[in-house]
Amino acid sequence: MTLPVAARPRRAPERRPPWAVSAAGLAVAAAAGGTAVALAPDAARSWVLGAVVAGGLCVVALVVTAAVLAGRLAAARSAAHREQAALHERISRSTGDTAHLVNVTLPQMVQRLRDGSDAYDALASAQRPADPQLESVLRIFTTELAEAARRTAAAEAARDDAVHQLGQGVADLERLSATALPAAVATLRRGASADTVLAALDMPGEGRLRVLLEQMVRELGVSERRAAAAQAASAKALGRVQARAVSMLADLRDMQDRHGADVFSDLLRLDHSTSQLGLLTDRLAILMGGRASRAWNKPIVMESILRGAVGRIADFRRVRLHSASTVAIAGFAAEGVMHLLAELMDNAANFSPPIDEVHVYVEERSAGIVVTIEDSGLRMSDAAMRRAVEAVSGKSTDLATLQGTRLGLAVVGILAAKYGISVNYRPSSRGGTGVVVLLPPQLLAQQRGPVPVTGRTLERPRTTQGSGQTATAVLEAPAPAALPAPAPDDRPALPPLPSRAAGAEGSDDAARAATPGGLPVRPPGRTMAAADRGRPAPEAADEPATPPARNPGASFGAFHQSQRRKDPRPPA
Amino acid sequence: MTRRPVDTGSPDRLYTVTGGRSHTADTTVFDLVTLVVSECDPTPGMQSEHVRILTLCRHPAAVVEIAAELRMPITVVRILLEDLLAAGRITARRPRAAAAAADLPESALLKEVLHGLRNL
Repeated sequence: MTLPVAARPRRAPERRPPWAVSAAGLAVAAAAGGTAVALAPDAARSWVLGAVVAGGLCVVALVVTAAVLAGRLAAARSAAHREQAALHERISRSTGDTAHLVNVTLPQMVQRLRDGSDAYDALASAQRPADPQLESVLRIFTTELAEAARRTAAAEAARDDAVHQLGQGVADLERLSATALPAAVATLRRGASADTVLAALDMPGEGRLRVLLEQMVRELGVSERRAAAAQAASAKALGRVQARAVSMLADLRDMQDRHGADVFSDLLRLDHSTSQLGLLTDRLAILMGGRASRAWNKPIVMESILRGAVGRIADFRRVRLHSASTVAIAGFAAEGVMHLLAELMDNAANFSPPIDEVHVYVEERSAGIVVTIEDSGLRMSDAAMRRAVEAVSGKSTDLATLQGTRLGLAVVGILAAKYGISVNYRPSSRGGTGVVVLLPPQLLAQQRGPVPVTGRTLERPRTTQGSGQTATAVLEAPAPAALPAPAPDDRPALPPLPSRAAGAEGSDDAARAATPGGLPVRPPGRTMAAADRGRPAPEAADEPATPPARNPGASFGAFHQSQRRKDPRPPA
Repeated sequence: MTRRPVDTGSPDRLYTVTGGRSHTADTTVFDLVTLVVSECDPTPGMQSEHVRILTLCRHPAAVVEIAAELRMPITVVRILLEDLLAAGRITARRPRAAAAAADLPESALLKEVLHGLRNL
């Protein structure tokens, strides 16, 4: 913007010089006085002359005065003109200064200050206006602008900082929730302590997040430890109950043999109650990660599996077994299969009318053994069926998914997942629900002979007398008859002591407990020490009780004995 | 935790063998020494104890013998035998002790035989 140029100075009017007017007046007055003197009578001429001279003097004085005054006036006027011009010049300079300030200096200052130079430097390098007020304006403006620029810069820095922190926090949070926490939880689940997890963890940089993560990990660690401790304690306690129940069952079986018919029905009732107790404790123990109460070391035929399962439920009289199958379930899986079938039969019996029967069919298929449990109770609703299928699928074996007291199906799921058994629900043709259990072929015992070797060798220790008869009986009928007849005076201690196994047996049995190379073979379910005791007695006798000092003779003897040990049938 | 010894017994409980029954309906049919003879061969799908009884009793066997072979209490064996008898798969016969005693030769005759043998 340009300011208007100052007004042009007024031109003085053209006038005749004052002295000309005065001279003309004086000439006119002198002419008039001469005329008057000439015209005057003589008499009066001297007076007239005097008067004219006097008048002329007066006129001259007047004119001179007027001239002086006019000169002064003119001087004053010229002085005023000069002043006016000076003022004009100042105004124009000031306007120029202002324009320069506004158009050049201030934008320059703004630019410099924006570029980051100091206010004083900018002021020093700027072209200062001459006007002190403008300079003051410039200084104030510059200072304020510098201050404003500083504040802006500070604010922007703060904002950038905040944005950076926010971004970092978001990234930390994402990393925390995406990787760090799941990894920590997984490690904690595996049983690591909170400190170990924290040491291995990629901690976020943000302090509060770190505190939060640490607290969480510690709390989670405590919870996991608590859960694990509770689980272990209950599994252990349940193990004792299971052992007691098993020994009660053995005692009851013994009493059933020894006592007559008068108490037989009572004993059977007790037996049934104890078996149901066993089902309950096994259910809890399996849920708690413990073991089943029993472990079979020989194949169990399907009929015994079904009977063992049905004997554990309350309403076993309502269950009808239809099995012509002669296959046997391998010993390691027998107890699990029995428990699984017992749970499913228990469910079927509980959810069907108390007068209806539950039918269990066994079919042999190439895919394995198919056990179908059909009840004629109420058809399960879709939601209940879905829940049941979900429970028996074994996908989530976490205790947190348990619903109330319905533990049976969860146990079925655990066992099915453990042994690769598939359990399917379908509506039954009898009106209720059918459960189809497919036992895969790897659970079946290989049927090479009547009874695998392990079952027979371990059968013997129970019978101290008449072992030959036992062996023939076992050979004739594999599993169900395997229960040895306890002598009335020799109550079989349960659990049977494996250490008694070796001594009374012949060398045949003992030789079977060792490889041809002389190494001991641990039969399933026995400790290595027990198996070692089962090895040929002569070796143990020949072994020196205390190793003698190393000498050539002893070394040769040891070599000789090691050669003798290779003989599968050492002299008794 | 120490490993528990394995079970060497049978998972069958006696009440599952008898189907929940604890005594026979008629206690007079089977004595301890009643002789049992099977009338038919075992068929598939039968209870394994029935199969074993039918196999055992191809020749007459007493109830106590069957019980000893099956390693089961007499009461249980009686229940099993009663089932088989009701199905007509076995016949039971009491040993006629009195008749047997009557058929024995006179003791005087026996003494004479003994005397003759010593004189040989």
